[in-house]
Amino acid sequence: MIFFLLLLPPLLAALLAWLVRPYRTWVGWVNAALSLLSFAAALSLAAQAAAGGEAPTWGFALGLLNLEEVLRADSLAALILICVTFVAALTLFLSPGLRGDRRFNAAHLRRYQIFINLFIVAMLLATAANNVGVMWIAIEATTIFSAFLIPLKLTKASVEASWKYILLGSVGIALAFAGTVLAYFDFFTFFGRVETALNWSELVTMAPRLQPEVMQLAFVFLLIGYGAKAGIAPMHTWKPDAYGEAPPTLTALMSSALFAVAMYAIIRWKTVTDITLQNHYTDNLLLALGIFSLVVAAFSVVLATNYKRMLAYSSIEHTGLICLGLALGPVGVFAALLHLLNHTAAKSTMFLLVDNVERRYPTPLIANTRGLLKALPWTGALFAIGLLILIGLPPGAIFISEYGIFRAGFLMGQPWLMGAALVLLAIVFVSFINHLNQMLYGAPPETVTTGERFSWRLALLLPGVVVLIVLGLTLPSPLATLLQQSVAIVAP
Amino acid sequence: MNTALFAQLATLGSSVVLIFGITLLWRRSLTAYVDAFRWQSVVLSALFVLIGYYGDDPELYFVAAFFFILKVIILPVYLRRLQARVKVVNEIEPYINIATSLILAGLLVLLAYAVTRPLVMVSTLPTRGGLPLAMGLIFVGLFVVITRKKALTQIVGFLVMENGIAMLAALGTYGVPFIIELGVFLDVLMGFLVMQVFVYHIYGTFESIDVNQLSELKH
Repeated sequence: MIFFLLLLPPLLAALLAWLVRPYRTWVGWVNAALSLLSFAAALSLAAQAAAGGEAPTWGFALGLLNLEEVLRADSLAALILICVTFVAALTLFLSPGLRGDRRFNAAHLRRYQIFINLFIVAMLLATAANNVGVMWIAIEATTIFSAFLIPLKLTKASVEASWKYILLGSVGIALAFAGTVLAYFDFFTFFGRVETALNWSELVTMAPRLQPEVMQLAFVFLLIGYGAKAGIAPMHTWKPDAYGEAPPTLTALMSSALFAVAMYAIIRWKTVTDITLQNHYTDNLLLALGIFSLVVAAFSVVLATNYKRMLAYSSIEHTGLICLGLALGPVGVFAALLHLLNHTAAKSTMFLLVDNVERRYPTPLIANTRGLLKALPWTGALFAIGLLILIGLPPGAIFISEYGIFRAGFLMGQPWLMGAALVLLAIVFVSFINHLNQMLYGAPPETVTTGERFSWRLALLLPGVVVLIVLGLTLPSPLATLLQQSVAIVAP
Repeated sequence: MNTALFAQLATLGSSVVLIFGITLLWRRSLTAYVDAFRWQSVVLSALFVLIGYYGDDPELYFVAAFFFILKVIILPVYLRRLQARVKVVNEIEPYINIATSLILAGLLVLLAYAVTRPLVMVSTLPTRGGLPLAMGLIFVGLFVVITRKKALTQIVGFLVMENGIAMLAALGTYGVPFIIELGVFLDVLMGFLVMQVFVYHIYGTFESIDVNQLSELKH
């Protein structure tokens, strides 16, 4: 069935990479082709969801083990699945193993192919899972698999980055599990032992009859836990280090797909908690953390000296914006979900471009990366366009979704907060333009070879940019339908 | 066994588990930490068996068995080996000294009592008295991760935190659904193996496991 087509290809890809020793280039090509199957499955699920009707589910029951409806794909899940499979396919086609790359040897590449495919299947499982316990297990698995990949080359910096990542990630995920246990405790205390208690569809149905104070406590744990995974301040400290040290193709996946999955977990739990509490408790928490993330991001971008870390701070900025949007009623949720999609496209494109830059320039320091337009004309131009879209310049999709979030903010009566957010965004805008100017113009260092041929790899990055500009001008109706259905799920 | 006796035994067991957790703040030697974790897991397994017996839930016997094998046998062996390889014996100067740590631990347990009041009031199980102690253990584990400098201590702190969450589940709901329990075990085992690999990496590149040295990455 459709769920097998979604989940099996990356598993097969990981298995293939594990069996073939030493690594051969055709393994990379087969894995990239397999990822297209997952993408097709995600599109099919989205089409099914947009057409209306019951969300497809899958499950089984084996004696003691009752996993009825363990997988379920409604509109919200379909949106996130498209994000994850799109970025996964793009990343796999542009992975280091498919062309000559002096940075990694065969052992590195084999490990990379195994773990990146396991990472992808864990993200897909987390999104498609109806059971919040299975969702938790899959998200924990993503931490573990990605942690193996960050220090692909062992240096002091990469070891430090991965230690912070694994420790903060595991502690955060453990807290999210505590939150899940508390929510289950709430359910169990009133309804007894029900095997399907941890199914999200069940939780949403029973939510009005759960105890509010216990759910409040549970949500705090869940927000801190999954927030650490998403990189919401103050649990964001692993992000700049991890994005700075990991191979850029992995960072593309982490910053766009994994981030979307972590926010998805928060959104699912917010929906349940809002039904139980019937007040603005979760909204207030998200507003506070959102503004705090914007503050942290704004001041860090000004001080950034490394362009990979700079993009990490930009991620924290967008995390803050999405949190704000989620807290601002149905209009805000619509804008926040659109922003999540746009950010996925933009961030993944940026980090895949960074991969090209990293092959030429020896260090990721902004001061040492000069003359990008001369050394890499195509990459430099795309980098500039991508960055301008990312900081919210029209006609870019990010501009539209940011406008949507601010409009929601003013509609919901939060003018001061929106004013502060605008100021912080302006600070980020100016800093980014400044850093971009330093990188684009001037003469490249002597050690860097200049000139770049336009290859199919650069052509693969164009759809992302085109999507961002198209979404900045119009909203295609299937996408609008999916978004509206998702808002109906999240904020009924 | 009547309900009152069960409630008392459950609370006693939870208290002992919490005290083993606080030992992490009191002792300095890494061997003591591994031992504290090991004995804590033994008592926790016994608690699972007790709850399974009284609550008439045979699933918990399996959970107790898995728990025992993983946390009393497998993990401490790996931790010992790790400790021998990196040749570290003591946590020399934690960020917060022992006396202050113990006072803060007391405050954290008080905080846990405050935070879990709604839980205790709502629950009808005889084990509800132990819920604040489980939450206290989670806070203490978190405290250890934040304030200790040796990577090995941080790992033990994380494992103690996981024990706290398992105890919370057992006392509050007589255990989460079995498939989730299995998944959690798998994740804890794999998470630990990954962390172990990283401690070797840290030792290999930095020649020590003092996380203070991991401060190269700034802006």
